[in-house]
Amino acid sequence: MSASHEVGQIEIQKARMIEEQRLTILELQTPVIQVWEGILALPIVGSVDTARSQEMNEALLQKIVDTGAEIVILDVTGVPVVDTAVAKHLLETVAASRLLGADVLIVGLSARTAMTLVHLGLDLSGVTTRTTLAKGLQLAFSRLGLEVVRRRDSDASSFVSDEAVL
Amino acid sequence: MARVPIISIGDVLIASVQEDLNDRDAANLQEELNELLEKTGARGVLLDVSVLQLIDSFLGRMLRDIATGARLLGAHTVVVGIQPAVAVTLVELGLELTGVRTALNSDRGLRLLQILMARERSGIWSHNERKRTH
Repeated sequence: MSASHEVGQIEIQKARMIEEQRLTILELQTPVIQVWEGILALPIVGSVDTARSQEMNEALLQKIVDTGAEIVILDVTGVPVVDTAVAKHLLETVAASRLLGADVLIVGLSARTAMTLVHLGLDLSGVTTRTTLAKGLQLAFSRLGLEVVRRRDSDASSFVSDEAVL
Repeated sequence: MARVPIISIGDVLIASVQEDLNDRDAANLQEELNELLEKTGARGVLLDVSVLQLIDSFLGRMLRDIATGARLLGAHTVVVGIQPAVAVTLVELGLELTGVRTALNSDRGLRLLQILMARERSGIWSHNERKRTH
């Protein structure tokens, strides 16, 4: 009797722990980063299911309203497989952000992902895509009329204070 | 019945929705806008929907129709102030309002309208119409 009671206790504790961990993961997986004034980045790591995509959408849209961002960069470098379902979620995010007046760039598409998308016959033609976050950021800057240039007096060979100024 | 006040400032008609619209109200708005466009020859329409907590499929289609109609009358339409929750619902309904320009708020919307109108005047119609200015 007491033994089975203890087992029950342990089970409850386990369930509670799993629930806590689930919530932690949920919080961790949708960081929306303001990388510059008017530019938000959303690094996506891991697979994207419906529940997660909804979380992401909510967090992103709220951030667009809060910061008045004009450009959103969705980084899918950390997404192992972009299949039909994932692409559908991404396109929903793109459409919703557009309704708030923000343009979305999808970056981090690998050669394999591109092949998969083409094979699946998915149409991402309405979305601007780039291979890396850096390229996406560059595009975002140019759309906002910003330019990144190296300071004239900076020594290109030195590693210290080699900051680029905008 | 909810009447939407429309004011004409310069080249632009500004329609600011004040309360929830039913189907009839939306149709009235479209009619009134078109009449005003014909009368004033305005070249832009700013439609503020920030008070709307819900845009159903009818209203979504109506927004698209308003934009299409305005285009025929020589004006660009920008819908501003769509709430995040509303945006999610619209996308879930499959109403992505393609062809309707959107902006975060009236300020941004007016800026977008100015760009569109200026571009049309100068005859430059680039592929990327939404290119930013700063």
